[in-house]
Amino acid sequence: MKFLTSNFLKCSVRECDRSNENFPLKYNGEKCQLEQDESLEFNPEFLLRIIDRVDWSAVVSVAIDLGNSSLPSSKPEFTSEDLSDEDMIILKDLHTLLIKTNIVEGEMSCRNCGHIYYIKNSIPNLLLPPHLA
Amino acid sequence: MLPTPHVSCDYDKVYEPSEDSFLILDALEKEQAFLRTYFRSKPTVVCEVGCGSGIVTTFMMQNDIPNEHAIYLPTDVNPWAMDSMVESASLNNCCTKMLSPIRTNLTSSIRPREIDFLVFNPPYVPAESVPYMPLDSEANEGDWLDLALLGGDDGMAITWKLLDSLDKIMAPGGIAYILFCARNHPEKVVKTMSTRGWKCELTEHRKAGWEVLSVYKFYR
Repeated sequence: MKFLTSNFLKCSVRECDRSNENFPLKYNGEKCQLEQDESLEFNPEFLLRIIDRVDWSAVVSVAIDLGNSSLPSSKPEFTSEDLSDEDMIILKDLHTLLIKTNIVEGEMSCRNCGHIYYIKNSIPNLLLPPHLA
Repeated sequence: MLPTPHVSCDYDKVYEPSEDSFLILDALEKEQAFLRTYFRSKPTVVCEVGCGSGIVTTFMMQNDIPNEHAIYLPTDVNPWAMDSMVESASLNNCCTKMLSPIRTNLTSSIRPREIDFLVFNPPYVPAESVPYMPLDSEANEGDWLDLALLGGDDGMAITWKLLDSLDKIMAPGGIAYILFCARNHPEKVVKTMSTRGWKCELTEHRKAGWEVLSVYKFYR
């Protein structure tokens, strides 16, 4: 799964919807195997819109889980229509993180109920066992 | 007419694209221009619920439906559907698209109010009950096909699950396209959903063998 997908995934357990701890999931950095997908081209316009939309604190939190603690705690702002060279560097880094980074194998858990979910062949499995569904 | 994607998968394990799938493709093609204008350059989170072979999501990726700033998060309960989805995308040269399939039941693992565009070809065949979800280790091949087909009472048990939480699922301004057969009594659905404040419009319908299929659009 794409790193960006982590911004949309919550725990599947319905009771956890009442908690604020069901998102983002906690990724186990030791178990997560990452790959860079080179087929996705850098598209600053798309990326700007995505950044505008994402829950930034969740991006920071998952990045830290995966061993990247270099992100600023507040969402980078791009004010002018013309992006500066510095902006472009930040955007390229975010493209690498959000769009190109693929979690191929790994596991993550809910901060509320502790249920563990697995990622295999780049597909996260959030289906619950019958007793929890 | 837009070309139909190539799909190749094991149809003993994954629902084979049929009249219903093709009706959805036709509905989406009809709506393409409207969707472009509606979403413009907004980043759209697109979720096909129960993607099966992946033919619909692949079609959307090939044709930038609903727009070119889409993130595709198709879901299915069937593990083989996940493989087929990825395979169909790659067969049709969609590797430059933002695709990230999720194995889950309906949209239960996607944050509420994030989906801008939803497509659902549900298990709509009326049946005594909805089959139980098997454990992967105990599943027979045919179990996954039953889950893709059988919809319980009026064939609506699963579709109502989704419709009943549509407010929670969809982002503000979101649009959902859902397929029905005549035995689902879509006219009753329209009545109920209208009283809940949803606009419901018939987008496409067709007689397919002894079934009459229709695709309705739900938005606010």
